[in-house]
Amino acid sequence: MNRNNIQSEPEKEKNTNLFGVLKPYKGMVSMLVIIAMTASGINLVIPKIIGSAIDAFSANNFDIVKVITQFLLAATGIFIFTALQGVLQTFTAERVARDLRNKIVAKLSHQSLSFIIGSNPSKLLTNLTSDMDSVKTFVAQAFVAIISSFFVIIGVAVLMLMINLKLALAVLGIVPIIGTAFYIVFWKARNIFRKSRQVIDALNKIINESILGAALIRVLNSQQPENQKFLEKNMESRNLGLSIVRLFSILVPSIMFVSNLAIVLILALGGHYVVMDTMTIGDFAAFNSYVVMLIFPVMLIGFMSNVIASATASNERIQSILSTPPPQEEGTIKSEVKGNILLKNVSLTYEDKPILKNVSFSVKAGSKTAIIGPTAAGKSQLLYLLTNLIPADSGTIEMDGISIDKYARETLYKDVGLVFQDSVLFNMSLEENIGFSDSVTEEALQKAIETAELSNFIESLPQKLETIVSERGSSLSGGQKQRIMLARALTLNPNILLLDDFTARVDQKTEDRILANIQSNYPDLTLISITQKIEPVKDFDQILLLMGGEIIASGQHKDLMKRSPEYIQIYKSQQSTEQYEL
Amino acid sequence: MNYNLNKPYKKIKGRRRVLASLQKLFTIIGKERRNLIVAFVAILLNAGLSLLGPYLLGYTIDAHVQTKNYQGVLIFAGILLVIYISAYILNYVQIRMMGGIGQRMLFRLRNSVFEKLQELPLDFFNQNKAGDLISRINNDTDKLNQFFSQSLMQFIRNLIIMVGAGIFLLAINLPLGLATLSPTLLLLIFTISVSPWIRRKNEATLKSLGNLSAEVQEGLANFKVVVAFNRRDYFRKRLKDANRENYKKSIRAGIANSILSPIYTFASNIGQLIVLSLGIWLIIQGRFSVGLLISFIAYVSNFYNPLRQIANLWASFQLTLAAWDRISHLLSLKSNLPIIESMNDTFGSSLIHFRNVSFSYPTGEEVLKDVSFDLQRGKTYAFVGPTGGGKTTTASLISRLYDVTKGTILLDGKDIRSYTACERASKVGFILQDPILFTGTIRENILYGNSECGALTNEQLEKELGNAQLLNLLKPFEKGLETPIEMSGDSISLGQKQIIAFMRAILRKPELLILDEATANIDTVTEKQLEIILNNLPISTTKVIIAHRLNTIKNADEIFFVNSQRIIAAGSFDEALNMLMSEKGES
Repeated sequence: MNRNNIQSEPEKEKNTNLFGVLKPYKGMVSMLVIIAMTASGINLVIPKIIGSAIDAFSANNFDIVKVITQFLLAATGIFIFTALQGVLQTFTAERVARDLRNKIVAKLSHQSLSFIIGSNPSKLLTNLTSDMDSVKTFVAQAFVAIISSFFVIIGVAVLMLMINLKLALAVLGIVPIIGTAFYIVFWKARNIFRKSRQVIDALNKIINESILGAALIRVLNSQQPENQKFLEKNMESRNLGLSIVRLFSILVPSIMFVSNLAIVLILALGGHYVVMDTMTIGDFAAFNSYVVMLIFPVMLIGFMSNVIASATASNERIQSILSTPPPQEEGTIKSEVKGNILLKNVSLTYEDKPILKNVSFSVKAGSKTAIIGPTAAGKSQLLYLLTNLIPADSGTIEMDGISIDKYARETLYKDVGLVFQDSVLFNMSLEENIGFSDSVTEEALQKAIETAELSNFIESLPQKLETIVSERGSSLSGGQKQRIMLARALTLNPNILLLDDFTARVDQKTEDRILANIQSNYPDLTLISITQKIEPVKDFDQILLLMGGEIIASGQHKDLMKRSPEYIQIYKSQQSTEQYEL
Repeated sequence: MNYNLNKPYKKIKGRRRVLASLQKLFTIIGKERRNLIVAFVAILLNAGLSLLGPYLLGYTIDAHVQTKNYQGVLIFAGILLVIYISAYILNYVQIRMMGGIGQRMLFRLRNSVFEKLQELPLDFFNQNKAGDLISRINNDTDKLNQFFSQSLMQFIRNLIIMVGAGIFLLAINLPLGLATLSPTLLLLIFTISVSPWIRRKNEATLKSLGNLSAEVQEGLANFKVVVAFNRRDYFRKRLKDANRENYKKSIRAGIANSILSPIYTFASNIGQLIVLSLGIWLIIQGRFSVGLLISFIAYVSNFYNPLRQIANLWASFQLTLAAWDRISHLLSLKSNLPIIESMNDTFGSSLIHFRNVSFSYPTGEEVLKDVSFDLQRGKTYAFVGPTGGGKTTTASLISRLYDVTKGTILLDGKDIRSYTACERASKVGFILQDPILFTGTIRENILYGNSECGALTNEQLEKELGNAQLLNLLKPFEKGLETPIEMSGDSISLGQKQIIAFMRAILRKPELLILDEATANIDTVTEKQLEIILNNLPISTTKVIIAHRLNTIKNADEIFFVNSQRIIAAGSFDEALNMLMSEKGES
């Protein structure tokens, strides 16, 4: 369980190329660039048509029909190509985002539980929403602008160099200046963007916790501290935002200013050449119009630098998830897990704290085992180990003589049903919540519902099994949720049933009925039950007493009453009322 | 009350709706008035300079370069330099101002949305999903920020240049000027008619993003079950479906957003054609000259270029309005738990008095019907009954998480609705069935919402805990008060969480303490300790214990049986047992 390592690992400073996200879309992207170029190419035709029309008019061979035809053709062409560009840009950007999201989802879906908890779900949420948004903006807005800007800059540079080498070199001198300024600011901005994404993660977490804790906040009237928590992080977010604004409020005007300097330079230097007769007035005029053509793309890149820096920071975060190594490969054994369980010297630590120490025990198929012990003795973790939810640090866990990690997941999770201590419900119908497996038959579902004593409750609902459970199951009582969790495990028709303190939320009478139901409906079940109460498990085949991560006693109730003082103490703590238990 | 943000609410139609929702936005912008004015002046001056620059350049070429007057060239180069330096400063001011306004608006909006969440009752959270709310607070507000810090500036700048150029063109030649402007009339009509459609498409995208966010949130929060039931395929499918939906909606919105640009471009090209044709006709009529036409056409681009820019900006404005709609819908919600005027006279001496109380959840299910009972000061009560019988609901009513549908609840002789949240919280302590701990330390969690002990040092706090006999409970935690806590995940066990929640409630010294199966996952030995602590609470403390472990309720002074919409006092412990035993059927 290296959760902490995962969490504390600093964001890897990977040099991920933002343009790399477009690699799989070469076809679309090249088409997009071609269309964009064509659109701006035809755009240049319009002034030509106007110019030649006026020339023709002056020369008295003006053909109005020809001009209108040409004009309409060009305008229609531009219309079609800009429309196409818009559509294609949308498609490319959305595809990139969709596919990236699906990749992340696929990646996450194969990871272990500890990875998900360790990598902070609030951050993963940002990755799938805000981060994706900024990559999308880059593809939709910045990418084409940057590519076509580069083409224009290079084209104009060549034209200028051909006209007058010296002047062109002087003018093009602005490009490296701007490039350097851009690079410095971009580098700084990327760091700030990184931090600001982390603050968004933190905001997500605060909002989420305030929603999960909504009832407590209202009971304690602690809205003020919640607002304060949020305000602090939000302030941090604002300050980072303001430092980005500060950076770009210097960068963008600087780029514009340097570009404008080029105009002054041409006027002063070019003017000098014209005065000295080393340059014609025509070339001078051409230079002037070219420099205007040069400035616009340069400034555009300046404007887009914000988008690029933000997308770069986001892309790094996305790529760092995509590059996490795949989890340990699942096993391949598909033979049925019958229920003979053997643990040998199993140890588990969490954040350097030992949770389980050298635990060994065995369970025979079809038998009933109870685990008893104080709070935080490591009971739940023991069940997690038995379902391979977390791996043991040392020792072996065998099912029917085969190590648990050798089993294929589908086999293991079909034959081992775990009822968690806390309720985990999905915002979907009761039927889907209970039959949370693709192989559930109608018969298995009904049997599970009856066993968990849910029939009457479901009957009482107007929409029966179709009733939608609200998020976090807030529409259900604690006992109802617990029984839904049980029914969910039972629909698997498992050979092994693991109950984590199942009885805590269910009243005695219902519990007795449920245990009897399990006995009669699932007679061959191997049962391992964590419980606080000794009375219902008195006749179990085996009772394990777990304390401080160690099994300090095991055996049947009668044995333990003879030889384990700790067990006797627990038993006595329940004795005074035992007579009332039903 | 309908708190579901994704269900259609009463919409004010058409332009009035736009105005009404914009009005609210303006009140939020109001605080930035001075900065906005400064930014606007900078934009205005800057737009003027950007028109002046090319004009001066042209003049210099005509007047000085062509006449080879280098002196003049240098003078005007100097003037241009001054203009560009001023533009530099103005640019800086405008970007800095507008960016700052955007960030501060974002900050304020996020705060007010979050504060609104805190203000709303529990009902609201039962009807909305966490992921969707997070999306509203983080993503939708950012759309407004982007508009303010980037688009608005360009929008105004282009508008100014366009209007300036338009007036200039009209002044040069009225008929040609009108011809130039003619396509804009059509564009105006077109834009007005498609804007609501564009906005709807954007609204749908934001909604689907909210859904996606909700799915991610739920899938990750429930990942435990996904793994244990080997339903990783299900996790992928739910998220893929939500992603596909978002993709579809985003494509539609993207196309809607990109439709204006080609149409505006087309219109401006047609405009140029009209100007050209009309110009030539005017020349034939002898009312215009070729030279004038050439310069007129050159100026026309000053009008059409900004017009084309506005097309894209208008689309982003529609997106902003859609985002604002979602936010303002949330901001317009009101708590359904208002504080009513308190009456001066008090009734009876009971701490809690239920008088003919009926309660049903918004789903319509009636949990309590015409229930009356009293809780006296200093006594211990037990609420028993089958699961789903209404025990937790009754406790929630006493803490006013919900209001009764009918009847009255009196706290200390006064209507519970007349207490401020602060007064009520200090009187009523409620340990919830599911212990809630926030990410932080044990100390922070024990002191959560406790203003009295908030400033204590660890030593003082430990002394305070010792006085309440709570200190022993801290022993199993190696790092004591500074033990780190994660809200989700399994870093500490459920039983331990319950112990911390217990300490938090006891330390607040409430007059009424409700324990809703608060020790269900704690071992029976530790539970004994908690029982002793409870017994040592001040004699005036009223306790309500909800439990089905009978040992925890045997010391109760009175037992209430809660089931089938009723709350009945059982005369004795045995009678309560009988009721439980004879209780027919199922909870």
